[in-house]
Amino acid sequence: MDRKVALAICFVFGVVMFIQYFSGSSLARQVNQSILEYWQIVFAFTLVVGIVGVVRTNVQRINKRDDVFFRIVTLAGIIIMPVVALIWGIKADTPFMWMFENIQAPMQATVFALLAFFVASASFRGFRARSVQATVLLVSASIILLSRSALGGILADEIPQFAEWMRNYPSMSARRAILIGIGLGSITTSLRVILGIERTWLGGRR
Amino acid sequence: MDIGTIIAGVLTLAILTFLYRDNPIYKFAESLLIGVSIGYTLVIVWSTTLMDILFRPLLNAGQLALVVPLVLGLLMFSRFHPRTASLSRLPIAVMIGSGAGVAIPVMLEARTLRQMTATVGPLVSDGTFDFSVLVVLVGVLTTLSYFYFSREHEGFFGRVSKVGTYFLMIFFGTTFGYTVMSRMSTFIGRMEFLLTDFLHITK
Amino acid sequence: MKRLHSRHWVFLGLLVVITAAMLLRVPMQLRTSPETQRMFDYLDQLPEGSVILVSFDHEASSLPEIRPIAEALLRHAFERDHKLIGMALLAEGTVIGYRLMEQVAEEYAREYGEDYVYLGFKPQFIAAILSMGESIPATFPEDYLGSPYATLPLAQKVSSYDDVAGVLSITDGSLTTHWIEYGGARYNLRVMAGVTAAMVTTYDPYVSSGQMHAMIGGLRGAAEYEQLIDVGGGGLRGMLAQSTAHLYILLLVIIGNVLYWREKKNKAGKR
Repeated sequence: MDRKVALAICFVFGVVMFIQYFSGSSLARQVNQSILEYWQIVFAFTLVVGIVGVVRTNVQRINKRDDVFFRIVTLAGIIIMPVVALIWGIKADTPFMWMFENIQAPMQATVFALLAFFVASASFRGFRARSVQATVLLVSASIILLSRSALGGILADEIPQFAEWMRNYPSMSARRAILIGIGLGSITTSLRVILGIERTWLGGRR
Repeated sequence: MDIGTIIAGVLTLAILTFLYRDNPIYKFAESLLIGVSIGYTLVIVWSTTLMDILFRPLLNAGQLALVVPLVLGLLMFSRFHPRTASLSRLPIAVMIGSGAGVAIPVMLEARTLRQMTATVGPLVSDGTFDFSVLVVLVGVLTTLSYFYFSREHEGFFGRVSKVGTYFLMIFFGTTFGYTVMSRMSTFIGRMEFLLTDFLHITK
Repeated sequence: MKRLHSRHWVFLGLLVVITAAMLLRVPMQLRTSPETQRMFDYLDQLPEGSVILVSFDHEASSLPEIRPIAEALLRHAFERDHKLIGMALLAEGTVIGYRLMEQVAEEYAREYGEDYVYLGFKPQFIAAILSMGESIPATFPEDYLGSPYATLPLAQKVSSYDDVAGVLSITDGSLTTHWIEYGGARYNLRVMAGVTAAMVTTYDPYVSSGQMHAMIGGLRGAAEYEQLIDVGGGGLRGMLAQSTAHLYILLLVIIGNVLYWREKKNKAGKR
């Protein structure tokens, strides 16, 4: 029963949002604005649901004595941020901002910076000219790297120029083809979702 | 040096210890990062969205129509109990349906038609042959043919789609080059913090 | 030392190369790419007092690369006396964007509410972009600091995309695509972007088709921009290290391939 209701809601919202796109009437604009507001609010709740899910999982694992210390650290982080925000607010120079700037942002950026090392390692161990295609890939990457270093311009002015041409034409054309493919795929999938042919998002039994 | 810089520096080094191998110091920093990030997201979502466009207008301005998205949002919590989980399909249906409805005209216009139009340009302009226009045309058509799986990639069609793979390799190579650049930039940024703000080795 | 593997030596090499380059701090003169010049020209030629929407569509993870890009663009915009409305489509960009705007505004003595405002974050980027197309005050009834939208002098002049010169999306992912496709196609919003280097090729088709008006990419783009506005920053400071790191990676690729071909030759010889 609820599957049918969900499919019907999906159909109605899909059709309404499709039709309003082509209408400039004030009613259409109003309907559009309301639906978009609903969409944002529901989405915000999904984020909260995700957070509750993480807390639940951590508590369950602590009860099972699994990685207790690290899970307590995670839970402490989850609790501290809302508490400091509640007491001192989220403006500049508040403990909330301080924690973001001195704990979260530096660590997150450093985790991402680790990738520099793995990219270096991958370049050494996996970037091999095993076939013609792999050689084309390797040469293109090398030209870009050389062109965006100071040496590229020093060796020859043509290196950065050729790299720019390669990016703007052959590389761009492949990316454009991928984009067109994704565009056509999105249209088909959206139609299938609205018409109830594509139902995997319902989950559970078919 | 202020306490914030010291903490940021120590935590940065704690994350970098992962380069040697996984260890408790890294694991502590990682757990703290996960917790703080989640806490942060909760605060931002609550204060700038749920309060801003739901609770304040509903409770202070009496916009009763907002009860509908509130109920839909609360239904998402039904996922935590197997017997009520199916109710969460209703708010998901609102999001999926709205997204699909608006995506059709946008994808058609902005992603497909505009990109196709940009592919077709004059091969000869001001009496000069424009090789780059031909490259783009050939690149788009051959790459698209590579992704066409309703026909066997053999004979002439196979050769055409093979040309497409070379264009794809140039794209992947270019992207790889730029990705290396990006990752190095991030690390350079962290090193600048360590050398300048934390260790005061450079100015 | 026995526990060090080949990857550890590669890591150590990178660390040494970058640290050495950063200690040297040799200033570099960069060739400005046409795309950076185009962005500079656009902001430079825009009439004074134009309102620009600045969207911080990135996470904290890319902050070291994003910060120089955003700072260079904000400095130029404030220097040209443009009015800026900040916002974020990703939760993590919210605080970063607020802080960056506040810091750069202070450098140019720009006042909150009059010269710039910060609206904060809205989730579900597609819905947020479309909703702003209908009404910005309805999407953001209050700014990040909790002041009602209507009480901010700058915000009073802006009710939809028609009232802004364009959006400048600072991104480390594909969110600018949604600005182009939903904001641009649906509401004729002019889109510009400052993107991390990794995302540059993703946006090339949009620049080529004219759907994206201008774009600067990566630390290198930021450095070129800093050179154009004649204000040093993280971009120019990091350029020598960036160049050296590229050459180090190239060296690794070459060594890796030489070893591979030697191994292949040896195997063929044994057969």
